[in-house]
Amino acid sequence: MRLRRYFSEHRRFWLGIASLVLFVCAWQFVLTYLIPVNPFFFTKPSLIAEAFKEEIQGARLWHDLAVSSRAFFWGFGAAVLVGIPVGLVMGWRRRVEYSLDPFLTALYASPLVALAPLFIIVFGVGVAGKAALVFLLSVFPFVFNTCAGVKSTELLLINVIRSFGGTEKDLYLKVILPSTLPYIIAGARIAIGRGLVGIIVGEFYAASEGIGFAISQAGDTYRLPEMFVGIIILALIAVALTELMRKLELILAPWRSGDEVR
Amino acid sequence: MKPKKIFTEHESVILGGGFILFLLVFWESVPLWYTLPKGMALFFTTPSKIAAAFYELLRDGTIEKHFYVSAVAFLAGLGLSIIIGLPLGLALGRFRILEDLLDPYITAANATPRIVLLPLLILWFGIGIWSKILIVFAGAVFPLLINTYIGVKNINRVLVNVVRSFGANEWQLMKIVVLPNSVPYIIAGLRLAIGRAILGVVVGEFFGASEGLGFMIAAAATNYKVDVVFVGVGIFMALSVILTLAVKQLESRLANWRPETAKTF
Repeated sequence: MRLRRYFSEHRRFWLGIASLVLFVCAWQFVLTYLIPVNPFFFTKPSLIAEAFKEEIQGARLWHDLAVSSRAFFWGFGAAVLVGIPVGLVMGWRRRVEYSLDPFLTALYASPLVALAPLFIIVFGVGVAGKAALVFLLSVFPFVFNTCAGVKSTELLLINVIRSFGGTEKDLYLKVILPSTLPYIIAGARIAIGRGLVGIIVGEFYAASEGIGFAISQAGDTYRLPEMFVGIIILALIAVALTELMRKLELILAPWRSGDEVR
Repeated sequence: MKPKKIFTEHESVILGGGFILFLLVFWESVPLWYTLPKGMALFFTTPSKIAAAFYELLRDGTIEKHFYVSAVAFLAGLGLSIIIGLPLGLALGRFRILEDLLDPYITAANATPRIVLLPLLILWFGIGIWSKILIVFAGAVFPLLINTYIGVKNINRVLVNVVRSFGANEWQLMKIVVLPNSVPYIIAGLRLAIGRAILGVVVGEFFGASEGLGFMIAAAATNYKVDVVFVGVGIFMALSVILTLAVKQLESRLANWRPETAKTF
């Protein structure tokens, strides 16, 4: 009985694991016994695992990851530093919102990666171009989510601060920012995904190092296991970052949990 | 006092439009009061030059040709993702076993930028329409699938039970309760999917194409034709804004009872 209860509580986790294991086994089986692998076009889990071990022990993968994450953090950091203040002011000052909203919405809705070639020729293939691209893609979720958060701040709290003679600074730091924080985290989750797109596209387009470059180079030279290793590592990082944000969101705003459109 | 009244009534339009107009005028005026260093001048362009380039490209049919190619990839990829994403989302919402089994893949694929699959797709399908369609599909299918799924999950149990009690089978239940209830969510998913699909077209054409608007941008950038780059970017921008606004209109008509949440693209 206890086993059964344990299973029904963790059903999703174990079924997920089972389906992953099954998938990997089936893949391996089909390509080992049923269809011989053409190593130029397809690969199987055992070969990927081998390449994974090799890459983890080698220095190149870590170097590539370090290069990519440096560009990511510069761009993302700049997006936080610019996006949140702009969002705060937009949410608080109606006329600022009226002025900026159409312009920023248009930029947010449009595929700004289209500017990638231009950024690369202007800023070069190094960190600067990629960081600028990441910034451009990830700043808007911060702006709009901060703005939405400010607008949802409870009026009563603002009035309390005002009645007790709080300054504009108190208002921002003690009421608006804390109640906006969950929205900002939600924005950060979206921004992470967009920032990763920026890194990858920048590195696909023109780079000599970085995880995106490693993946596209492995593809160009038909080294499929290495390519899958790159894709899997990127997926793991993306999932880890996204789940971290989701957890943070739950901690900071437990009442907003659940069925939000992802 | 009349102008003031007009201003207060249309404040948002005047300020919003005014700001964009101001930016354009400012951009146009830069060369008048600041001489750029020679290296920078190569990368610089003004709105009037972009407009001229747009007119030129429109006249000689370049835009029409590339636009057609991009539009086909966009529509085919988005159509494929609707055909697959919607039924799969409905099934995931209705059958828990399917949901549990597929959850790891969907979570992973949704968090990872699918653009990363592009080298693989190019390897498999070559440079051409298919790798483009599939990258558009890979980008657009998840927002649709997940939103449909959430829509199905959020259905009022009472309605389901009522229809069941009156003897409806699974198919009728789907038609009478599940589908109508999830429509607002599906439309919201469609809005996200359009953005991802356009992203897929752009990136797919950067790397895996020899025609299309994305290819036009990439080729122009390598030849330092910055005004052509901006023509391409402008077209993508206009398309995204128009499509997003159209779906938003639909969304607010269908779902005006749902609380407004923060913008997500």
